[in-house]
Amino acid sequence: MTAPTANSAAGRPGSGAAPGAVSGLAAAGGLGVVELTWQPYKTRGAQLVDHYEVYELTAAGDTLLARTLFPHHTHRVGPEPLTRRYTVVAVVDSGARTRPARAAAGTSERSLAAGRPVARVGEFDHRGLEFALSPNLSAQYPAAFPQDVDFRHGTSDPARDWCYLHPGPGDAWAGRKEHTFTLRFDLPAAPERDLGFALWLIDSHATAAGTAELALNGRVVKTLEFRGGATRGSLEGDAARSGSVLKPSSYELPLAADLFTAGENVLTLRKTGGSWIAYDALGVFAAE
Amino acid sequence: MTSPPHSPRRRSFLQAAGVGVGALLAGAGLAGRAGAAGGAPRLREDPYRLGVASGEPAADGAVLWTRLAPDPLAGDGHGGMPRAGYDVGWQVAEDERFRRVVRAGSAVALPELGHSVHPQVRGLRPGRQYFYRFRTQGHTSPVGRFRTAPDPRSARGSFRFATASCQAWYHGYFSAYRDLAAQDPDVVFFLGDYIYEYGITAANMWRSAPLPGARHEIETNTLADYRVRYALFKSDPDLQAVHAAAPWILTPDDHEVQNDYSDEKSYYGLSEEDFLLRRAVAYRAFYENCPLPALALAHGPDARLHRRLRYGPASLHVLDARQYRDPKPADAAEQHAPGRTMLGAEQERWLYHGLRTSDARWNLLLQQVGLVRVTENRVDQWDGYPAARQRLLDVLGEPGVPPAVVFTGDCHRSIAGDLLADFADPGSPVVGSEFLGTSIASDGDGAPTDNYTKDWMQHPWMRFYDGRRGYVLGHADADAVTAEYRAVPYVRADNRAAGFTLDRFLVAHDRPGMQKVS
Repeated sequence: MTAPTANSAAGRPGSGAAPGAVSGLAAAGGLGVVELTWQPYKTRGAQLVDHYEVYELTAAGDTLLARTLFPHHTHRVGPEPLTRRYTVVAVVDSGARTRPARAAAGTSERSLAAGRPVARVGEFDHRGLEFALSPNLSAQYPAAFPQDVDFRHGTSDPARDWCYLHPGPGDAWAGRKEHTFTLRFDLPAAPERDLGFALWLIDSHATAAGTAELALNGRVVKTLEFRGGATRGSLEGDAARSGSVLKPSSYELPLAADLFTAGENVLTLRKTGGSWIAYDALGVFAAE
Repeated sequence: MTSPPHSPRRRSFLQAAGVGVGALLAGAGLAGRAGAAGGAPRLREDPYRLGVASGEPAADGAVLWTRLAPDPLAGDGHGGMPRAGYDVGWQVAEDERFRRVVRAGSAVALPELGHSVHPQVRGLRPGRQYFYRFRTQGHTSPVGRFRTAPDPRSARGSFRFATASCQAWYHGYFSAYRDLAAQDPDVVFFLGDYIYEYGITAANMWRSAPLPGARHEIETNTLADYRVRYALFKSDPDLQAVHAAAPWILTPDDHEVQNDYSDEKSYYGLSEEDFLLRRAVAYRAFYENCPLPALALAHGPDARLHRRLRYGPASLHVLDARQYRDPKPADAAEQHAPGRTMLGAEQERWLYHGLRTSDARWNLLLQQVGLVRVTENRVDQWDGYPAARQRLLDVLGEPGVPPAVVFTGDCHRSIAGDLLADFADPGSPVVGSEFLGTSIASDGDGAPTDNYTKDWMQHPWMRFYDGRRGYVLGHADADAVTAEYRAVPYVRADNRAAGFTLDRFLVAHDRPGMQKVS
C-alpha cells in the first residue's frame, strides 16, 4: 500500500472525502515522547472509524507516523528535546478520508540520557532488539544467565551479556525469586557533581509490573515502582513500530556525587516485586 | 433483546458512533435493490477470491455470503475494490447447473461493510440440498451448496454435523478441514477463534510457508487490520472448500478481538474506552467475513451473537461467553462469589428459558470455553465462574428439560467428559455431556498426550483426551447424539495429512452420560 500524505484525498475512482476534519488536536511533550490527543471523529449512523493516520509535518514533507484506532497517539522520540508539528486524518469504514486536522506542535522534554554517557547499556530508541535473547527467548533465561546479568561497561556486549527481559519474583519460569542485574563501570575519579540515572523500558507486565531496588556501590538509592505495560514485551521488541501495542515507560533520577568512587562502580537493579520488565536502555550520565 | 446496561464510557461511544444500521442492511438483501452499480467502476479481476459461504440454516432457508475482493490482501483492507457500491445478484437452485432456480435476488456490496453481502434466503423446503452462486458485472462466483434444516415437525429427523474451532493459520495447514469436507456434514458448528489477532512473525509462523509480510507482523488493531487478517486466513483453500460445502453456524471466542478479554476489559493494557473501539471494529470485521444473520451486525461495540436455532430434533443454543462475562477473579473469594456471571444476566435468563421450554428432543449448547470442571486455576474457562456453572447445571438437571449435549472450542485438545449435577460430589447424577473439540491448526501438530493431560483426566467424570489437531464429527437423531473425534497426524509441514478416527462416543436420549462406541 502506498503511504498517503496528509492532504491526499481517497485515491480510488468514485471516491469522495469524508466530511469535516478531526478537531482538538493537541501535542504535549514528555520524556522521550510527544503525546498527541484529539476529539473522536464524529461518525454518522452505523459508520465506524477504521483508523486515524498521524503525520509529522516537516520541511521535507509529511511523514506518516502511525495508523491508530484510538483518538490519541504517543510519538516516541529520542532523549534530546525537539519541537515537532503534527496533523491527523480520520479514515472511516468505507475508506473515505477527512481533511487534515489543524496542525499542533509539541516539544519533547530533555532526558538525562541526552547528557554525556558515563556508562550505558543499549540505545534509547524504544527498541530492545539489541539485547540477549530478544525478542522472545525469555524461557532460556535460567540457562543463559544462571547467575543473573553481570555487565561491565566497555567490555561486555549487550547482545550477549544483557538480557532483554528482567524477571521478577512473580515469574514461575524464572524460579519465582528476585533477580539482580549488575552494571559495572570505572571512573578515573569520583565526580564533583551529581550524575543522572536513566532507565527506559519498552514494556512491562500489565498487571504486575512490580518494583525494583536501585543501588549504587551497595547503597540503596531508590525503589522504582514500574507502571503497567501491555504484557507483550516478552514476545516483541520494537515499541517504535507503527501499530505496536507495547507500553513503554521511563524512570530518571539524579545520583548524588558522593555515591560514586574512583575505580570500579557497581550499579544494581534488584527486582523485588511483581513480574518482568523489558529493557529499552539504561545508563549513568553527566550533564553537559 | 434487552440491551445490557451501558457504562458511561460505552454510552459515550454509542453517541459518537451512532446506532443506526439500516443503511448497511442492503447487504443482507433487506433494503431492496439499491441500484448501486450505476456508476461503479468496472471490476477487471475475479472478485470472488475469498470464496462463498452459507450459514444459519433453517428449515426454510439460510444466509448466503460472499465478499468482493479481487486483491484480498490489499493493505487498506478493502480487498482491491473501488470505493463504490456494487449490486451482487444471487441465485439458489435445486441442481448444480442452475437449471431449476428456485430463489434469486440482489444485495448491495458496500465499501462500509468491506463489500460483503449476507442475503437471507427464505421459502425453501426442509431437509433439501440447494446450490447457490453470485454474479456481479459478469463475474460468476464458485458454486456453494447447503442443506436446509430438517423439518422440526418430523419426529424422525436426523442430521450429520461437525464442530470446529481455533484456526491459527500461521500454526499449520487446514488439512483437518479437507477431511471434514469429505465427510459431507449437513452443518458445521464453529465454536470460536476464526482468526487470531497476534502479529505473524518468524516466531509463530509454524506453517511451512513464506511469511505473509510486514503488513501482518503487527497485532490487529484497526478495522483495516482485522479485514486483512480475515482475508489472510480465508485464503486457505481447504477453509474455503468447507464453507462452500455446508452451512456454518458461528460464534466467536476471544481471538476475534483480543486474547482473554472479558466484556469491556482487555488484559493487555488498553483502557476500557479504547478497548470498546477495538471491540467495535473487531465485531464489524467478524460480521463482514462470516455468513451471519443481520442480527449479528454490531451496534458500536455491542453485537447480538447469542441466538437459538431449531435444527431437526435439536434446539441449538449458540452462546456468547465473552461479551458479558465478569472479569477474571482477583482471588478465590471473587472466583466463588455467588453472583459471578459468564453469560451476563440477560443471556442467562434467555438460555434457561430456552432450555426449559424447548420442545425438541435435545438441547445442544454451542459455546466457547470448557464447562466441565478441571482445575481452580483455569479462570478463563467456566472453572473461573463456578457459581454461574452451577446455575446452568441446575437447570440442565431439572425434570422435563430435554437432555443436553455441550459442544465447546478453545482448548486445542479433543476432550470428552460428563457434566455432573454437583462436581463436588462425584457420585451426583449426570446432567449432560460435553465434547470439547481440538483446534484446526492452533498449537501446531500436537501429540496424543501432553502437559495438560493429567489436569483433565484426573477426574472420574472425564472420558477422553487427545492433543492432536482435528475436529468433531457428529450425528443426531431422536434417540442419540454421537460424537466422533477425527484427527490429522500433523499440520505444520504441508496440507496432505489424511484424517483418521480417534474415538467415538454416544449419548442416548434415555440414559444420561456418554458411552464409548466400539
